[in-house]
Amino acid sequence: MNIYDVIIVGAGPGGSMAAKTAADLGLKTIFFERGRKPGEKNSSGSGLGPRIWKDFPSLMKELTPEKCPSMRAGSAARNYFVNQEGIVAGYVMARPTESVSYEPAKSWITMNCYRSEFDPWIAEFAIDAGAELKTSTLITNLLKKDGKVCGVIDEHNNKYQAPIVIGADGVVSMVAKQSGLRTKWAQDQITVVPQYDFQASPEKIDDIMGDETLAVWWSAIFPASYQVFFHDGFHQGLGNWLNKWDKNPLYYLNRVINLKYYQRLLRILNAKPRELQSHLLPWLKYPYNTHTDGIILVGDAGGFPCPLEAEGIYSAMVTGKFAAEVAAEAITSEDFSKNFLSKYDEAWKNTSIGEDFETGEELYNIWKALPFSPQETMSWFVPMFMEAMGGIYDWSQPHAKRVRQIASQIKSYMPQALPFIMKYVIPLLAKIFEEDIDKMMDPQKLMSALPKLMDLIPKKKKPRREDK
Amino acid sequence: MKLNGLTKHIPGTVDFIFIDQSKCNRCGQCILVCVVNLWRKTNNIISFSEDYKEKCLECGACYQVCEADAIDFHYPSGGTGVIFEKG
Repeated sequence: MNIYDVIIVGAGPGGSMAAKTAADLGLKTIFFERGRKPGEKNSSGSGLGPRIWKDFPSLMKELTPEKCPSMRAGSAARNYFVNQEGIVAGYVMARPTESVSYEPAKSWITMNCYRSEFDPWIAEFAIDAGAELKTSTLITNLLKKDGKVCGVIDEHNNKYQAPIVIGADGVVSMVAKQSGLRTKWAQDQITVVPQYDFQASPEKIDDIMGDETLAVWWSAIFPASYQVFFHDGFHQGLGNWLNKWDKNPLYYLNRVINLKYYQRLLRILNAKPRELQSHLLPWLKYPYNTHTDGIILVGDAGGFPCPLEAEGIYSAMVTGKFAAEVAAEAITSEDFSKNFLSKYDEAWKNTSIGEDFETGEELYNIWKALPFSPQETMSWFVPMFMEAMGGIYDWSQPHAKRVRQIASQIKSYMPQALPFIMKYVIPLLAKIFEEDIDKMMDPQKLMSALPKLMDLIPKKKKPRREDK
Repeated sequence: MKLNGLTKHIPGTVDFIFIDQSKCNRCGQCILVCVVNLWRKTNNIISFSEDYKEKCLECGACYQVCEADAIDFHYPSGGTGVIFEKG
């Protein structure tokens, strides 16, 4: 029998952080990876945000291009707006703005790095700290004694014993299932995300994209699609909740690829498709059932990706670290009860992730209703936004007439826009600013005032002197 | 886009997708969400490709989407299955 203090199922960023933390705390630690090496089973957008550097500075300063050659950092993001006709109606490039308060984030927004490099890199820290990594090993069940979890069993019936098991085994978590914490996700808690990787030369990427590192394609004909640039390639992917698809997810991803504009981008980048990937991604309003007797779930297994845009690596690392710290306390106290392990919830709730989930429901709702509802919402949002952004670039009329035309056009979207603002934007703002909705803005007043404001804009030009 | 050559596998020998026909309600959601089109409906029976071990991306969407609980999925044997080199 193999006996340990703590067992971690999974060697992604969450499992490796848990293993590193546990080993640093002097625990006899083992972590398991079903792939031949960490990261070879993982696909994701793979953007690492500045929060990771903020929270794990000594670790992240070790991340260098020598270790992870695919690294590419950048300081700008591009937003494309694709209308119902499949035309890029406009785009906005954005750099960190004046209100950014974390100094390093003033010069870069994300560091992108393939999981096949990042995951083995982070696992090395756990190994260096003394944790034992077992690769090519599929854990198939929990080991139980008198109904209590006391370890895990692999597919060859090898048994590993420990009083506490950390489930870092991703979205389809065996640990969550076998511990009774969750059989399946509900359809509106889980997204499927197909993704292409394209190969392109670093010189082309630098020439054409400059220091842009990320693009989001907001669209009326597919759910919002992300583009993430690496040293010698890029990802193009999209997702939506499982109950939101009316056609195959790849059909919608191919709609992005087949945009005339996108095809031009592929041509000038001389980009070639290199890999097709797909993964599930939990996307919740709030994590639940994160632990039980002898079990803690971290990262995707616990449903921790960000409720707004589903950043998952950071939340996996943070929850992995706290899970190991709580496991160490449980070992010291010899108490592995669900009640004792609730310290884990207290810990993550008190972090940046906990703060994101305080507005989780509102963030989730607005994302679901806007970029993930292309036909219902983006079909009016894109032309409305572009009317405001680009309407003035028409020299066929006197400028004043153009302004009236633009205003009138924007006004025509109000029957859709106002209910949207009331239902999704106001509740979010109220939560963010910790204000009662009524106090902040009387919805009825707003509903009646906005159209009136729009009415102030004259429908017809005032008669000119010579017209009288 | 042609998908040939865009995925890499080390096919294992142990099965990891199962369908229980007595539970299946033929809703076809598995066909809808599978990115690599492993699922099909013939004569009102839902089935999946025999060569799925060389094609499955192991996302688990078929398993998650099945509200009849007819599909069982677990990850393939350690060291086998799909390989993402640029994931």
